Amino acid sequence: MNAVMIEHIVAIVGGIIVAVVSAVALKNDWKTPGMENQVFKLMLALLCLGAIIAILAGAGVLGNFHQGGNA
Amino acid sequence: MAVANLLYGHEPGVEHVDQLYAETRDLRLQGFLLFLISDCVLFSSFIFAYFYMRNSGQGWPPPGIHRLDVAFAAVNSVILFGSGATMHYALENWKHGHFNRYAMFMIATIILGACFLGGQAYEYTNLIYNEHVTWAGSGIFGASFFTLTGMHGFHVSVGVIYLFILLLQSVHGVYTKHKYFGLTAGTLYWHFVDVIWVVLFSIFYLI
Repeated sequence: MNAVMIEHIVAIVGGIIVAVVSAVALKNDWKTPGMENQVFKLMLALLCLGAIIAILAGAGVLGNFHQGGNA
Repeated sequence: MAVANLLYGHEPGVEHVDQLYAETRDLRLQGFLLFLISDCVLFSSFIFAYFYMRNSGQGWPPPGIHRLDVAFAAVNSVILFGSGATMHYALENWKHGHFNRYAMFMIATIILGACFLGGQAYEYTNLIYNEHVTWAGSGIFGASFFTLTGMHGFHVSVGVIYLFILLLQSVHGVYTKHKYFGLTAGTLYWHFVDVIWVVLFSIFYLI
């Protein structure tokens, strides 16, 4: 197992953990009122999206340019 | 003071501070959100400039420059996004009066933020010394990459220092269970740098 493979696995596993944790936090805060909580909910949703993007990048679904050349 | 307590049922000074805090809290929040929006505008202008330059060139990345290491950046991104989650739970634990858990999550956030900066420093070193990509010597690619990620890295550095100061303040009793706007602002700021990285990670590494 080389370093690149470890990086992919860490990105996927870590991304899943972060996505689940942020989704749970978003669910728990879903009904909280107030301006700051609305901002927190937006931020948590984007955090969850970021974690999903990191998972896809780690899995090679996004940002996989090795097969398609340099462009 | 005992007489004041007897007459008014509370200490006048303490009541004044609490009332002032309640009255100004929303204003402080709005002011802080405006600061974040202005920061967002700053990043947006650089991002739009990056896209403009990228689309006016001959392919991307320019000839002679390799694609950035996506796997390493994904790990570094997960570290930063993880710090956003720990920061959120730090604030939640503070609200519920669990100081030890708050401190644990806060320290975890600071460590993860520092790890992200370490990862970025490693990536910069690799790019500069192995790939020979520099800010001034690699055209639009080097200039835009180092400017935007450097600006974000600066924000993360400020955030790490800010969170450390917040931790020290909370240890010394500056914040209470009902008065913790500094912690709210710190959490908003930290989420903001996370969200900015979602965009930067996508535009530099994935598309």
